[in-house]
Amino acid sequence: MSLLLEAERYVANQSSHLALNAFITPLPRRSSRWQDQVKHADLRRAQGKQKSRLDGRLIAFKDNICTRDLPTTCASKTLETFTSPFNATVVQQLEDAGAIVAGKTNLDEFGMGSHSIHSRFGPVKSAHCGRDSDNLSAGGSSGGSAVAVATDQCYAALGTDTGGSVRLPAAYTGIVGFKPSYGLLSRWGVVAYANSLDTVGIMAKETSTVRDVFGILNQYDSRDPTSHPPSSRSRISHRLKSTPLRIGVPLEYNISELAPSVRRSWYRSLEYMRQQGHTIQLVSLPMTKSALSAYYILAPAEASSNLAKYDGVRYGTRFEGRDGDGDNKSEGYLYAKTRGEGFGSEVKRRIMLGAFSLSAQAIDNYFIQAQRIRRLVRHDFDAVFRAENPLTAHALDIEHQAREVGVDVLICPTAPSPPPRISELTNANATKSSLDAYVSDVFTVPASLAGLPAISVPVSGRENVYSHDDEDLAGIQIIGQYGDDDLVLNVGELLQGNGL
Amino acid sequence: MLRPCLRHCSRATLRSLSCPRCLPRDDLQLLQFNQKIPLPSFPPTRRLQTSSIDSQDPVPLRKQLKQDAKTVRARKRERREQEEASRQKWELTVGVEIHAQLNTETKLFSRAPTLPSELPNSNVALFDLAFPGSQPEFQAATLLPALRAAIALNCDIQPVSRFDRKHYFYQDQPAGYQITQYYEPFARNGYIDLFSYDGIAPEDRDRVRIGIKQVQLEQDTAKSQEYPPSTQLLDFNRVSHPLIEIITMPQIHTPATAAAFVRKVQSILQSCSAVTTGMELGGLRADINVSIRQRGDDSGAHQYGGIGGLGQRTEIKNLSSFKAVEDAIIAEKNRQIAVLESGGVIEGETRGWTIGSTETRKLRGKEGEVDYRYMPDPDVPPLLIGEDLVSKLANTLPTAPDALIDMLVGPGYGLPIEDAKPLVELEDGARLDYYQDVVDILRDVQDLDSKARASLGRVTGNWVLHELGGLLTKAGQPWDAERVTADSLAAIIDQLQRNRITGATAKQVLAMLFDGDRRPVMQLLEEENLILRPLSREEYIALAEAAIEQNPQMVEQIRSKKQLGKLGWFVGQMMRMGVKGRVEALKADEILRELILGS
Repeated sequence: MSLLLEAERYVANQSSHLALNAFITPLPRRSSRWQDQVKHADLRRAQGKQKSRLDGRLIAFKDNICTRDLPTTCASKTLETFTSPFNATVVQQLEDAGAIVAGKTNLDEFGMGSHSIHSRFGPVKSAHCGRDSDNLSAGGSSGGSAVAVATDQCYAALGTDTGGSVRLPAAYTGIVGFKPSYGLLSRWGVVAYANSLDTVGIMAKETSTVRDVFGILNQYDSRDPTSHPPSSRSRISHRLKSTPLRIGVPLEYNISELAPSVRRSWYRSLEYMRQQGHTIQLVSLPMTKSALSAYYILAPAEASSNLAKYDGVRYGTRFEGRDGDGDNKSEGYLYAKTRGEGFGSEVKRRIMLGAFSLSAQAIDNYFIQAQRIRRLVRHDFDAVFRAENPLTAHALDIEHQAREVGVDVLICPTAPSPPPRISELTNANATKSSLDAYVSDVFTVPASLAGLPAISVPVSGRENVYSHDDEDLAGIQIIGQYGDDDLVLNVGELLQGNGL
Repeated sequence: MLRPCLRHCSRATLRSLSCPRCLPRDDLQLLQFNQKIPLPSFPPTRRLQTSSIDSQDPVPLRKQLKQDAKTVRARKRERREQEEASRQKWELTVGVEIHAQLNTETKLFSRAPTLPSELPNSNVALFDLAFPGSQPEFQAATLLPALRAAIALNCDIQPVSRFDRKHYFYQDQPAGYQITQYYEPFARNGYIDLFSYDGIAPEDRDRVRIGIKQVQLEQDTAKSQEYPPSTQLLDFNRVSHPLIEIITMPQIHTPATAAAFVRKVQSILQSCSAVTTGMELGGLRADINVSIRQRGDDSGAHQYGGIGGLGQRTEIKNLSSFKAVEDAIIAEKNRQIAVLESGGVIEGETRGWTIGSTETRKLRGKEGEVDYRYMPDPDVPPLLIGEDLVSKLANTLPTAPDALIDMLVGPGYGLPIEDAKPLVELEDGARLDYYQDVVDILRDVQDLDSKARASLGRVTGNWVLHELGGLLTKAGQPWDAERVTADSLAAIIDQLQRNRITGATAKQVLAMLFDGDRRPVMQLLEEENLILRPLSREEYIALAEAAIEQNPQMVEQIRSKKQLGKLGWFVGQMMRMGVKGRVEALKADEILRELILGS
């Protein structure tokens, strides 16, 4: 199939799946611009002069990744009409490799959410339906990217993963979602939610596609102060892996609330790995339970700081009239109106949470404690992996013995349950609160806090051929030591490629 | 003085020559008296041309004026005594925070230039405007002036320091937070010594050491201009200009010493090129913390910078001159004492000061205090400063002002402190450079013993500061080292010291060069016929005899009563009679003694 035919099919799907609301800004159906770009790529392919394996491919971008040619709204009213003056580095890298921006995908406002329902542009709907044919949650916050990939509206998509925002939607929509080690992919041009956790993630139907995209993006960028320079990259990457692998199974992830379909897919994955000759080993990550709480202190704290810039003065939406909440100028709070009307409820909730946990009276009990937990979570992981953490190798004194029995990767579920129905989340008398939504991040947050590479691949949780479709949607997560991104991708490919 | 007053005063108040708004409080008494004078019938403007006082009976008025002046003096004395009593009873404690704009080419976290003179909003990078998706790029070069400053302030440079975000909403702060170093600043535990020549209060005697708690790097804000009722213009050129904040220990106890401290910090920062402009151009701003406690009472519940037992402090923000620092502290001290003496309680609050005011005013109370929600900045990596960099900078730092003053008053130059201090301070050291050039040239051309060398330093100081300085002041011109070059001034002093010209000629030549004569000094002296041609012995005798003839009685007095002081009169006569610039006083005196006393 020519690249042009493929691209036209994707763009046609963007129109036919409009109801899923995956895109905030789709590609115009007839535009000579992308068509010419794809035609040129076809020509290069015919001449054997492809720029890369992604030359001529349509890649969608989550709408919190800056693009010069299309608006970047972050699904927020406050940036509703905002177009960035520059391209994010990841956009530029992919364009330089010949890829074409397939549009901007829907998300939870500023990446805050687990179901992609907190959007100024309406909720994203998964193509999958529950028993009563209600649409299921696409997961969040990169739900638009996930649905776009799952329903062939693009070749691959980029999302962002702060606490699981790429892996959870991948698991809920049955695709592959990869969060690389923190500091490998540039965040320049990625609108910050919680900088110390934010990671650009890659979503595609096949792990091999994810690897292609990762290969292009995995470069040092001097504009991102948290991007690893070449010197530390070389230290991170050259590591030998022995086969067979030792697979770690974290005890703490086997919680009673685990849905049967999820547990089935976990067993299935481990069984498959055992059959392939790898060793399965139980490990303990005792801080797992505290990790979620720590995450929901740290991420909102950083968010409350990062979102302070949206005042409508230099860009963004500004609301008419005096921008204070009082009649008297000295009594009113500055920007009360602009920020009050510009942000949605979930964003406001997290700003409030963050502002509280950083306040003088609360910082010691919340923010500082959460940072301690974060260090302990990292220590947990370092204690179970065979490989040393290249970032902390000199600082930690993990007994040599642990190294000898350490594992190469961890395999665990991505989420404790299959995707809920959207109606359960959005109804006025919804049975699920935002706290329930936070719980769906319980298995993805630890890797985020530790900055580790993690991938979610679809592994069927179906009991038998008569089971319902939504039981088939389970994601299995592979977590590796810092810098073991290739290993994580390889194990993901092993699991995914075998029709489990 | 009168005209601006007239514009402000209504006709009804125009009964006196003085406008009440233009008078300090002490003169109110005088004013009230004047108001008793009946209003003349002609229009007030004309009254200003004639003195109304003349038309009154002058005697009681003069008497009254004298009495009034007396009352004023008495009142001043009384107030001084009261102040002294209050000083005995109450102890003032002051801590200072100085914000100084660093001398850097770029902003702290972007490559945008710091040039101030560009169009508004032209020197800004995406990060400076807090654009979504932009990230900070720490400019390592901005650290150099900050380090020079911290080293000059005798601080311990921290091998690891970090950046934090300080949150508050204001339109001059685009990110909604300022990046600063709250938890781990790059420099700690410094000090500076203040000497009496720095203008410290007499209570501090010869010398006082003020501890510096920390120095931190941070971003400046944008400039905002208010156009009431509803317009604000913002210029982001200044946003993120690198600043250092210098925080002292609460170890200052007098307003004068606080002002001297700020002045000295400015001169230290300028001497090591850490800053480009001083307070007068807004490059330096000070916040002052003031608290009061009874002397000997260290039961106060408050602790600042690790010093406990202090009273509740208030903060006065944004003082922009040395005088404002001193005046604001005096006013706030008096306010706090008044509150405490009337049984009140000092509230921890932020106060403001307007230049020319006599009282600080409340800006916001404790309940209105902003919780800055300090948070480590997750995007800015820790600052790692190597020992090698610190020692290299320390070794290449220009000599500190105190060390320069020591050198100038030392045996090498022998300057009095009153000359040494201005030399160091004037024109950021440019005058000192010039002075040293002149001395160096003179030392090269003159072959002197060490005693003569010492006087060379003092003599040159006099010429550079007072003679040349006087010409500058008279002309109202700024310093320019090229106006009279160091070579020229050295030549003039050299000729003077070799007795080839007289002092009067030397001054005359300096003035000519100052006014633009471009001839070399030697050529000028030749062409203007200014070189001293010594008179022959015969010529001196002739002059002396002519002088003696004028006043034989005085000669007799000198001879009989040994009133040698009167010889001077004859010397003066000889100089007046001789050709200008040719009669040398010493020689004239010698000949006179010979003729009159026969010695």
